[in-house]
Amino acid sequence: MKNYVETKSIQTKRSMMKSKKLVLIALALVLLGGMLSGCAPKAAKDDGPIRIGYVGALSGETALWGQAGLNGALLAAKEINAAGGILGRQVEVVGLDGRAETTDTVNAFRRLVTEEKVLAVIGTNWSSLNIALAPIADELKVPVIATAASNPKVTVDENGKLHPYSFRIGFIDPFQGQVLANLASNTIGAKTAGVIYDVGSDYSTGLSQYFEEQFVKNGGQVVSKVEAHTGDNDFRAQLSVIKEANPEVILVPWIYKDVALIANQARELGITVPLLGGDGWDSPELIDLAGPAIEGCYYTSQPSFANPITKPFYDAYMKEYNNLVPETEALFLRDGLYWVKDALERAGEVSSDALRTALENTTKFDGLMGSMAIDPATHNQETCLCVHLQERRARMVR
Amino acid sequence: MIIQQLVNGISVGSIYALMATGYALIYSLLGFSNWAHGDIAMVGAYIGFFAITASIFPWWVAFLLAIAGAGVLSLLSERIAYRRIRQNNSPTMFLMIAAMGLSVTIQNAVLVFIGSKFKTYPQILPVKAIEIGGTFIGLIDLISLGVTVVVLGLLFYLIERTKFGLAVKASATNMQVASLLGINVDKYISLVFLLSGSLAGLSGVLLGMKYTVYPQMGNIALKAFIASVFGGLGSVPGAIVGAVVIGLMEVFVAGYVNAGLRDLFTFALLIGVLVVRPTGLFGKSVQDKA
Repeated sequence: MKNYVETKSIQTKRSMMKSKKLVLIALALVLLGGMLSGCAPKAAKDDGPIRIGYVGALSGETALWGQAGLNGALLAAKEINAAGGILGRQVEVVGLDGRAETTDTVNAFRRLVTEEKVLAVIGTNWSSLNIALAPIADELKVPVIATAASNPKVTVDENGKLHPYSFRIGFIDPFQGQVLANLASNTIGAKTAGVIYDVGSDYSTGLSQYFEEQFVKNGGQVVSKVEAHTGDNDFRAQLSVIKEANPEVILVPWIYKDVALIANQARELGITVPLLGGDGWDSPELIDLAGPAIEGCYYTSQPSFANPITKPFYDAYMKEYNNLVPETEALFLRDGLYWVKDALERAGEVSSDALRTALENTTKFDGLMGSMAIDPATHNQETCLCVHLQERRARMVR
Repeated sequence: MIIQQLVNGISVGSIYALMATGYALIYSLLGFSNWAHGDIAMVGAYIGFFAITASIFPWWVAFLLAIAGAGVLSLLSERIAYRRIRQNNSPTMFLMIAAMGLSVTIQNAVLVFIGSKFKTYPQILPVKAIEIGGTFIGLIDLISLGVTVVVLGLLFYLIERTKFGLAVKASATNMQVASLLGINVDKYISLVFLLSGSLAGLSGVLLGMKYTVYPQMGNIALKAFIASVFGGLGSVPGAIVGAVVIGLMEVFVAGYVNAGLRDLFTFALLIGVLVVRPTGLFGKSVQDKA
C-alpha cells in the first residue's frame, strides 16, 4: 500500500512536471511570437502621439551629456507640442539608459523599437556606440540619428557602403581633423606638433590621424605621438616624451575631464605651448576643472551655445531645469527633434520609412546649430566652430 | 629625460604606497584583502573637497576632517559588516565578498547622492614646478611625497616601537593566544581599521589634489593591491617597496616602450610573482607579519 502511494505521488509529480514544461514551452512560444511581431515596426495608431526614442548615457562617467540630451529632447517636445505638434499629432520622447556601453546601448535601442514602438531613435554622442547601432537600425528599419558621433563609419561602413537608416547631426572627424590642422598651421602658425591620444577610443585615434594628414599637407610635421588610456590619471610619463621633441602645439583629442588633467600636468612639466582639441573639450565644466592651465588653448566644436541664436532655447532650458547650465548635447537633441519634425512634415506621412527618405533628402534644415544639408551618398554634413579659450572664457575664432 | 621619468615614477608610486600599506595592515590581521579600501579613499577625497569648498575652515582642518571621516567610515565598516562575519567563524572568503559588496555600495551611494560630475580641488597651491637642471618637480608632488614619507615613518614607529604595535603584531601572529594573554583583540582590530581608513583618507586627499575627484577614482587601489601582493601580502615595508617599483615600472613602460602595454606589464609582473614567489618580495614567515 505504502509503495503504491509513493509511486502514485511520483507519477503525479512527473505529470505535473510535464505540464509545467508544456506551460513553459507555450510561454516561450508566446514570447518568441511577441518578439517576431515586434521586429516589424508598425506605425503607432494614427491618432496617438508620435513616439521618438532617445538613447544616451543616463548614468556613469559621461552621464553629464546623456542627461543634458534627454533634458533637451523633453524640452523641445514640450515646445513642439505647445505649437500644435507634428502633422497635428503630439510628440512623446522615450529615453533609455545606454550607460555608454555597447551592449546596453544596443539593448536599449532594440527595446525602444520592439517594445516602445518608436518611430525613430536619437542618440548617441559616441562613435563606437553608433557604429554598433548602425547595422541594427538597418535590420529593424528604424532611423537612428547620432548627435556628436563624428566617426565616418557611423553612417558608411568600411567598404564605403551607406547604412541607409543611420544619420548624424554633427560633422565627421575627417572634417574636424582638417579644421584643427588648419587652425594649428594658420591661426597658431605652428610648424611642429605633438599628439597624445587615447588608444582605446575610435574618436581619439581617428581625429589624430585626420589631423596629422592635413597638418603634413600644410607643410607641418608631427614630431612626437604618444598613447594613453581612458581611465588614466597620470599622463606625465607620456608628456615628458612629447616635451623632449619640443613641438609648437600639442593635439589633445580627449574629453574635458582628461583634458583638465593633461593640461595641468603639462604645465607642471614646464610645457607652455598651446594645446588643441576637438569637440570632446566642449563643456562649461572644462574651464572650471582645468583652471589657468587651459588659458590660451584652442578647440573646434559643433556649433554650440556660443552662437547667439541659441539664446531663447538656453533661457528656456535654464528656466525648465532650475538654472542648470545646458551642455551642447541638449542643443543636439533639440535640433534632432526639430529635424524629425521637418522631415515628417515634408513627407506628409508618419512612418519610419517615409521619415528615413525625408531625412536623406534634407537640402536645407535651419536648426539652432546652423543650416544643414545632407549628402545622400554619405549622410554627412559640414558645419564647425573654432573656439579660443581666453581670460577664462570661450570665444569664437570665426 | 630619465631623471624626469624617475621623478614621475616616484610621485605615482608614493600614492600607491599609502594605499598599499592600508591593504597590508588589514591583510596581516584578518587575512583578507579589503576591496573597499579604494572607495574609502574616494569618500575621503569627497569629504576633503566639500570641506574646502565650504570655506569655513582653513585647508588643513578640511584635510584632517577628510582623514578622520575616512577613518571612521572604515571603522564603521568593520563594526557593521566584518565583525559579525568574523564572530560567526565564517571562512575568510566571506569577508572578501562582504568587502566587494561594500565597495559597490559606497561607489553607488556616492553616484546617487553626489552625482557623477568630476570635481577638482580649489587651487590651494599654484600649479608650479621647481626646475632643477631641466627636470621639473611639481610642488604638489613634492609636498605629497614629504607627507607620505613622514606618515609612513610614523606608521613604522607605531608598529615597531609602541605597545600598540606590539599588540597588533601579537594579534596578527595568533589571535587566540593574543587574546588569552589579555589583549583585547577586537579593540585592536577596530584601531587597525581606523588607521588604515585614515591612510586611505589621506591618499584620497592627495589624489584629489593631484588629479580629479569622481565616484570611480577608488579603482586606482587595484594597482596598490598589486603592489602589496608584489611586496608580500601583509608586509608593510613590502607594500611600500612594491608600490614604488610598480610606479616606476608604469612610468618607464609608458615613456620608453608604449603606454598601451603598461597594464600588460603590471599584470604580467603580478602573475610572475604569484607563480615564482607567491610570498612576494618581503613575504616572511607568519611570525613576522605586520
